[in-house]
Amino acid sequence: MTRIASRMSGVVVSGLGIVSPFGAGLKAFWTGLAAGTCAIRAATLVETDGFRSRIAAEVPGEAMAALPAARHRSRADRMALAAASEALADADLGACEREAAALVVGAVGGGMYEGESWYWREVRGEASSGRTRALRSILPFAHAETLGFRLRLHGPKETLVMACASGGASIAMGADLIHDGAVSTALVGGVDALTRICFMGFNSLRLLDPEPCRPFARDRRGMSIGEAAAFLVLEDAEQCRARGGRIYARLLGSGMSTDAHHVTAPHPEGEGMVRAMELALESAGLGPSEIGYVNAHGTGTLQNDRIEALALRRVFGDGGVLVSSTKSQVGHTMAAAGSVEAVATVLALQHGLLPPTANLVNPDPEIPFDCLAREARPAAVAAALSNSFGFGGQNVSLVFGRGEL
Amino acid sequence: MSARRVVVTGMGSVNACTAGGTEAVAEALDRMRSAIRPVTGFSAGGGASRLAAQVEDGVLAGLVGRDESRRLSRICQLTVAACRLAAHDANLAGGTALGIAVGTEHGDFRSSVEFATGFLERGPTGLSPMIFPNTVMNTMASVAAIALGARAPSITLNQPTVAGDLAIARGAALIRGGRAQAVVAGGVDEICEVVYRRLAEMGALSPMGGPGPEACRPHQVGHNGSILGEGATFVVLEEAEGARARGARILAELPSAAWGNVPAAPHGARPGRADRASPVCRLLRARRAAPPFSRCYGSGNGDPRVDDWECSLLERDLDGAQDRGLLPPTSLAPVFGQHAGLGALRFGAAALDVSRGAGRVLVHGIARGGCRTALVVAPPEP
Repeated sequence: MTRIASRMSGVVVSGLGIVSPFGAGLKAFWTGLAAGTCAIRAATLVETDGFRSRIAAEVPGEAMAALPAARHRSRADRMALAAASEALADADLGACEREAAALVVGAVGGGMYEGESWYWREVRGEASSGRTRALRSILPFAHAETLGFRLRLHGPKETLVMACASGGASIAMGADLIHDGAVSTALVGGVDALTRICFMGFNSLRLLDPEPCRPFARDRRGMSIGEAAAFLVLEDAEQCRARGGRIYARLLGSGMSTDAHHVTAPHPEGEGMVRAMELALESAGLGPSEIGYVNAHGTGTLQNDRIEALALRRVFGDGGVLVSSTKSQVGHTMAAAGSVEAVATVLALQHGLLPPTANLVNPDPEIPFDCLAREARPAAVAAALSNSFGFGGQNVSLVFGRGEL
Repeated sequence: MSARRVVVTGMGSVNACTAGGTEAVAEALDRMRSAIRPVTGFSAGGGASRLAAQVEDGVLAGLVGRDESRRLSRICQLTVAACRLAAHDANLAGGTALGIAVGTEHGDFRSSVEFATGFLERGPTGLSPMIFPNTVMNTMASVAAIALGARAPSITLNQPTVAGDLAIARGAALIRGGRAQAVVAGGVDEICEVVYRRLAEMGALSPMGGPGPEACRPHQVGHNGSILGEGATFVVLEEAEGARARGARILAELPSAAWGNVPAAPHGARPGRADRASPVCRLLRARRAAPPFSRCYGSGNGDPRVDDWECSLLERDLDGAQDRGLLPPTSLAPVFGQHAGLGALRFGAAALDVSRGAGRVLVHGIARGGCRTALVVAPPEP
C-alpha cells in the first residue's frame, strides 16, 4: 500500500448541522451530549409487539414538525435537508464555493419508512395512497437527489452505502475530493430514519438490548436503534482562511479498510479495525500517544465492544486513551452514525469537554480503558479519533485536530 | 493532482448476452445481438411493458459453487461471479491493496421484499436473520470482498442509470489517492418482480404509458423508454507502474474521470440546464486542445428525456467542429438492457476499442436527477 502521509492536512471543518434524537440543530445536540442525557425511549414509529426490544432513539415529534422541509418528502429527506441546510448556513460560504461544492451522502434506508407503510397496506389489503411518491424516494440515492436539487450544488454528487460506516466514509471520501483537487468544498454526511426492516432485522439477529444500550458495560446486552442526519462542510484550509471562515477542526487523516471475513461479524482479532485506525494515524502523521480521545463505534453488542476494545489495545495499548460511545445517548443511527459521531468529536475538541458513555454503571473489566462513565469530562485534547464499523466488515477511522493550534 | 496513473487490466461480466472475461465481452460487443426478450420467471402484469434482458439461471449456476448458490442471494452470486472472472482475467490476487467499487441502482431489493413478507405473513417469528444482511445494499461488495480477499476499501454507490460509470470513476480515485493499488469496479443489478412491475406501473419503462410499441430505441424517432436488463460487469483498474511491474496485460488507460451534478428535481431531466460549475463540464471543455475523441459511448437508453438531455449536454461541451461525428453517442442499452452493469460494459467497450487502436474514447453518462459522469479512455502512456 502506498504511504498516504498527511494526505488531509489541508482539509478543515467549517460548518456543522444535525437533526438528532435530542432535536433539530447543533445546540440541542451539544446540550444533550454534554449533559450525558440518554434519548433512547419507547419506540413510537414502528410496531414493537413480540420483539425483544421495544425502544429506540427517535427524533422528537415536535422537532420533526418544526422542520422547514415540505411534509410530502420522506422523513429521512426532511431530516437530511434540515441538517445539510444548517451546515451550509453555518459555514457561510460564498455563492461560488457553495455552487461548486461536492455532495457525498452516506445512506442505507433511503425513504424506506414510507415505502414500508405503502407495502404494509398493500399486503394487508388496506387502501393505499401516495403510492408513486413513496416508491420514488425509497432508495438511498433519493437523499442526494433532493439535496443536490434543493441546495443547487453542481459538484460531484454521490450516495455511499457502506452500512453503519456510511457516514464516516462520506467524510473520508469527501475529503479525498478536496485533497485530489477535484473540489475545494464538500458537503458530507449521513442520514437514516428509523425503518421497520432495520428495527425488525436487528431484533431477529438478537442484537438489540431491551433496555437503553450500555456500551462497554459488563452487563451490556446489545444496541439501541436510533435515527439522525448529520452533515459537515469540509473545505480546503487555504480557501477557508482566505474567506475568513470559521474553522471548527482540522480533518487530519482517515483510514478505510475491509475485513473480507464475514458479512455480519467483525474479524475476531479486529484486524480490519486496527488497519483502519493505523492508516488514519499514518495519514495524519500522528502517533497513538498524540490522540487524546477516541469516539468509539461502541454499539453495546457483546462482540463489537469486545473486538473494538481489542483493536484499541493493539493500537493504543491498555488504557492508552480516553474512550466513549455517543450511541449510548442517541442510539445507533445507522448510516448517520459516523457523521453524528464526527460532529460529536469535533464539538468535543472545540469545547474541551469529552462526552460520556451514558448508562455505564458496571464497566467491563475486560475493556481496559476509561470509558468516561455517565459524566462528560473536561479535557483539552489536541487530536481525537472517531471509529465507524459496519456490516460487510467495513471500517472507517477519522482523525480530527483542534481548529486553533 | 496526483501523479498516480490508472490502467485497465481486465474485465469480467455475467450479463444477458454472455459470461466471461475480456474475450467473451469482446465477442458479445462485436455481435451486438440483443438479448431483450419477453420476461420469464414471473408475470410482467397486465401493462404494456413485457420485455427484459435477463441472465439465464443455468449460466449463473455454472459460475458459482453449490455452497455459494445456497448461501448467497442471486444478485450476490452475479457479483461474485463477475468479480472473480475479472480478477482471473487480470491474473490479480487479493490482499490489503485490492479494493472493490460496486455501483447499483436497486441493490438486493428481492431480499428486502422477502424479509418484510416473512414478517407480514408470520409475525416476528417469520423474520429471517439470514436474509436481513442482504437488505443492506453493500452486501454485494461485502461478499465480493470476501470472495476475492480484497481488504482495501470496498465501497457501494447507489445511483440510477450511471451507477457503473460512477463506481469506475470512484475506483480510479481510490487508486489515485493511494487508498488502493488495484480496484475491481463496476456495477450490478438484477430484475425482480416487484421492481419490474412497479416501474412499469409508474411509466418508467418502455412504452411509458404511450401508444407506441415497446422497444429500446435510444436517440431514435419514437424512443419511448428503457427496457430493464440485469447482470454484473466489473473491470480491473490498477496503478500503472504496479501493473507494468507485474507484467499485466494493459488494455487502456483512464487518464481522467469526473462526475458532477446538473441540478434537476429528483427523477427529473432538464435538457439545456447549465452546469458550468460541474467537474464534467470543466473536464470536457479543458480537453478541447487534446486529440479528438474517436468515439463516444453514452447512457442514452431510450428514455426520451435522458436521450435528449445527453445530446444537448454533449453538443454544448464538446468541440463542435472536432467532435461532430460523435453524436448521438453509442448506446449499448438495446443489446444488454438498462442496469448498473451497463456503465461498466460501456467502459469495457471503450477499453477494447482503445486496445484495437481507436485512440481516445469518451464514456459519458447522465441520469434523471442530474448525476453526470465522464470517463476518458486512452491508449496507455509508454
